[in-house]
Amino acid sequence: MKSTLNGKHLTVLFVMVGLLALPSLVFAAGKADTAAASKSTATFFWAGYDGVTEDYRKGLQDAFNAIDPNVQIDIVPVPWDQMKDKLTTSLAGGKPPDISIIGTRWLLEYEDLKQLAEPASYVSQATIDDIFSGAKEGVVKGKLMGLPVAAGARFMAINNRIAQGVPKTMEELETMAIAANNPPDHYGLFMVGQKNTELTEFAYYFYAAGGDFFAKNPDGSYGKSLVNSPAGIKALTFMDKLANKDKVVEDGYLGMTRIQGHPLFYADKIGYVMIGAWVESAMKQAGSTFPVTYAQIPPFAGQKSAPLIITDSVAFFSGAKNLKAAGKFIDFWYQSEWKGKFDELAGFPPVTKKASTLPVFNTPMYKVMSEASANAKGWPLIATWDQCQDVIWDAISKVYLQTETPKAALDAAAAAIDKINNIK
Amino acid sequence: MVNEGAPTAKRRLLTREARLAYLLLLPAVVCVFGFMVYPLVYVVMMSIFRTNRLGWLQNFVGLANFIEVMSDLEFWRITGRSLFWTLLAVSLKTFLGMIIALLLNVEYRGRKIARMLFIAPWASSVPISVLLWSWVYNPQFGLLNHTLRITGISANPPIWLGYPISGFIAAIWVDIWIGVPFMALVFLSGMQSIPDELYESADLDGVTGFQKFIYITLPSIVRILQISTLLSALWTFNDFNSIYILTGGGPVNTTDILITSIYKNAFVYARFDRAAVMAVITFFILTALSVVYARHYFKEES
Amino acid sequence: MKFRPRRSKWRSRGKPLVLLLTLALLLVMLFPFFVMITMMLRSSQEVYVTPPRWIPHAPTLRNFALVWSQYLLAGYFKSSAIIAIGASALNMLLSIPAAYAIARLRFKGRQVALYLFLVVQMFSPVVVVISLFKTFARLNLLDSYIGLIVINAVFSMAFSIWLLSGYFKSIPVEIEEAAFIDGATRWQTVIQVILPIAAPGLVTTTIYTFIAAWNEFLFALSFIQNQTKMPLTLGLYRFVGRWSSQWELLTTAAFLAIIPVLVLFYVIQQRLVGGLTGGAVKG
Repeated sequence: MKSTLNGKHLTVLFVMVGLLALPSLVFAAGKADTAAASKSTATFFWAGYDGVTEDYRKGLQDAFNAIDPNVQIDIVPVPWDQMKDKLTTSLAGGKPPDISIIGTRWLLEYEDLKQLAEPASYVSQATIDDIFSGAKEGVVKGKLMGLPVAAGARFMAINNRIAQGVPKTMEELETMAIAANNPPDHYGLFMVGQKNTELTEFAYYFYAAGGDFFAKNPDGSYGKSLVNSPAGIKALTFMDKLANKDKVVEDGYLGMTRIQGHPLFYADKIGYVMIGAWVESAMKQAGSTFPVTYAQIPPFAGQKSAPLIITDSVAFFSGAKNLKAAGKFIDFWYQSEWKGKFDELAGFPPVTKKASTLPVFNTPMYKVMSEASANAKGWPLIATWDQCQDVIWDAISKVYLQTETPKAALDAAAAAIDKINNIK
Repeated sequence: MVNEGAPTAKRRLLTREARLAYLLLLPAVVCVFGFMVYPLVYVVMMSIFRTNRLGWLQNFVGLANFIEVMSDLEFWRITGRSLFWTLLAVSLKTFLGMIIALLLNVEYRGRKIARMLFIAPWASSVPISVLLWSWVYNPQFGLLNHTLRITGISANPPIWLGYPISGFIAAIWVDIWIGVPFMALVFLSGMQSIPDELYESADLDGVTGFQKFIYITLPSIVRILQISTLLSALWTFNDFNSIYILTGGGPVNTTDILITSIYKNAFVYARFDRAAVMAVITFFILTALSVVYARHYFKEES
Repeated sequence: MKFRPRRSKWRSRGKPLVLLLTLALLLVMLFPFFVMITMMLRSSQEVYVTPPRWIPHAPTLRNFALVWSQYLLAGYFKSSAIIAIGASALNMLLSIPAAYAIARLRFKGRQVALYLFLVVQMFSPVVVVISLFKTFARLNLLDSYIGLIVINAVFSMAFSIWLLSGYFKSIPVEIEEAAFIDGATRWQTVIQVILPIAAPGLVTTTIYTFIAAWNEFLFALSFIQNQTKMPLTLGLYRFVGRWSSQWELLTTAAFLAIIPVLVLFYVIQQRLVGGLTGGAVKG
């Protein structure tokens, strides 16, 4: 008797496949390919800022989409930690979003790879003119390639219940922190001990010592790494002293990143912390009740004040398909009250002249931030910065773990960075 | 007349059997390789080309990338650590999984609930679980050190994620914690297939519990043991989240294993070529492991 | 074919010890979940307290409402369910025939086939994500459930095929022969005889694929942009901020995300019990 396998088997198999795949197919039918002939939906990778709520995002999206059914925006929330990865994947895979919030220094990398489109081609001149010229950091090779979306200088927050006095220099800070220090009840100064994606801690002290990460060539490009300059060694030695000799730093600092550690300040346990604009909304969320003063991050004696400023930008990607719609959206966002609301929620000082007139930006914190912006320095605009940061952080860790001296660690780091950048 | 469809037909029906076999295998093979051939080939290509910061191939460099990676002492440390990590984690997962499976094999009221609860570490998304663990390990806010202190187990518990050794222990425990339910489940399902008669006749012979385990339970689930430990080894070797979210491979790369280094090279340093080299080397290591295993496995079949 | 329920292999006097050990191990294994539960019952003001406390001073259930209404948790659940169920179904569909072929049939390339499925497991998703993105982009599978269903099924294939072929192989051939003698076709034999006996293996692979797909993060992050298609794993990350995490909301949502998996397992674990009567089952 011949086996009836082949024919029947196949049929049943296909029927089974069809049956089981059917529900999925039905759902999958509502795929992304919903673009009608005249409808243009732009994609915006929206990085999450603490304080900017889901309500705001949805509100903004709905408000814009209501204007013109043929010009739509899709605001895709992406966690900051994953933003770079997701962008890399989308760009490498040939399907970038139309616009995205990025760290401004990423602009250099993407411009090198020829992935950027100039915002001015899609955004109205009125929008561009409304932006403070000081905030226009996203300039690559003379062209504005990124629109500033959040620009925050860092400053110092002081818990007046624990700490007394506003230090004018780093040396004063050390003294005051020692005076305020009373472990384990509360600590004098907050220090980030575990490596995270940003080098901010070191930058505060390094810039305060008058340091610069790279030597600048006459043509504006970056040269040798200067992280092991006297300023660098001074900064790192000072940080090490605070943590391991004066011991004014929180217990367990080696095991805490910034995200996990800053809440100690909101919990009324830290005297001095170097922090950014989110501190007010964070303290509100945590229910902090202690009196707070804001001040500049002090320089070392004899140096000029040079706090760190970190900016994020909106970039346009040339490989995307709906840049015109994206441009219209940016016009809408920047020129309406939505942008001011964003600045207020995120806690950043406004980058547009329109928004800066709002009374909500007249608080002490914003005043301090504006002062700081005048002298602040940003990150070096170099494509390999992520890797350089990584190297410097490792050097710092070695010093914290007391396996190397600051000079040895930084010398090795500078050499490694030069190698990465092919500088002899 | 012999039914040609019977599996034990006396005539060697290789062609018909083989045809049927290929037909049955076809959907799975097409699905898996349809999607995976290009990525796998591309990884190999990236390892022998220079790539740009988006991983696009630039120019052919032969084995230059391999030489660059393998002449870095750090690479060998990381590889050694990966092997140690895998060996230790899989052994502990197997051991703990076996104990839990034995415990859950016993009947008692509420066993269903116990089984369900033991699955919990596996039921949660890995990045979220590891994030939760990082919160548990936090020196100031974490409840682990707090609990260790108030129960008197340790007056001065370590700052887990701040140091190389405690960081390694913290990460490997999370990896084990996530992997144990799977092992327990697989072992349990194997144990459930063992007929009672075997145990009953052993009881009549006056065999102790331990001997029953060694001579009845273990041999019956030996193939399941082999499969699960092999797959666990492959997965553990490439367990990215447990280490990266907790320590980032630090401090100073002291908890880096190959997969975290691959990620850093690809997404932080934008050196896709180096990352690809390490991925290819990982492949060779895991293939060697699988070959040894599989040979054992197939030998037992005949 | 009848099945006898498994009886314990230890006598009743061993039971208290078993219970004690089980409880102890549960305490250790569930420790982070205790943390999760205590976190989700407190307001944001009590999250960052040091020294930390197990019992919040002012417990609240507000987070459940917040998380559900503000963050469209229902949508995330739906997406995760579609992907996980689809992936399990697809995986079953493809691996059962393949596992049967490997277990029962003799053909050239049998061992090669097993090896090949293993090869896929040797590459972490981190390594292949970009290439898969390109493939999906070309096939228009980005931002689709089908894409994630397929890729999750693919990554579970090795385990399913290896485990199921092991199970099938351990079923004595005599049982199939008996069915043939009774006049069943091979197809009927498989469905009505073999699959029920191999139920523990089927349950295990289904659970494995379901959980793997339910918790999958990297591919979902890379391929999905449309918020309506985002699964829970991505949704949960909304609570991880740039400068601080909202632990009270994150733990609430994570807790809700685990419940369906636990419930599924509770319901399905009955089928873990199965097996043969008569004849030794040698691995």
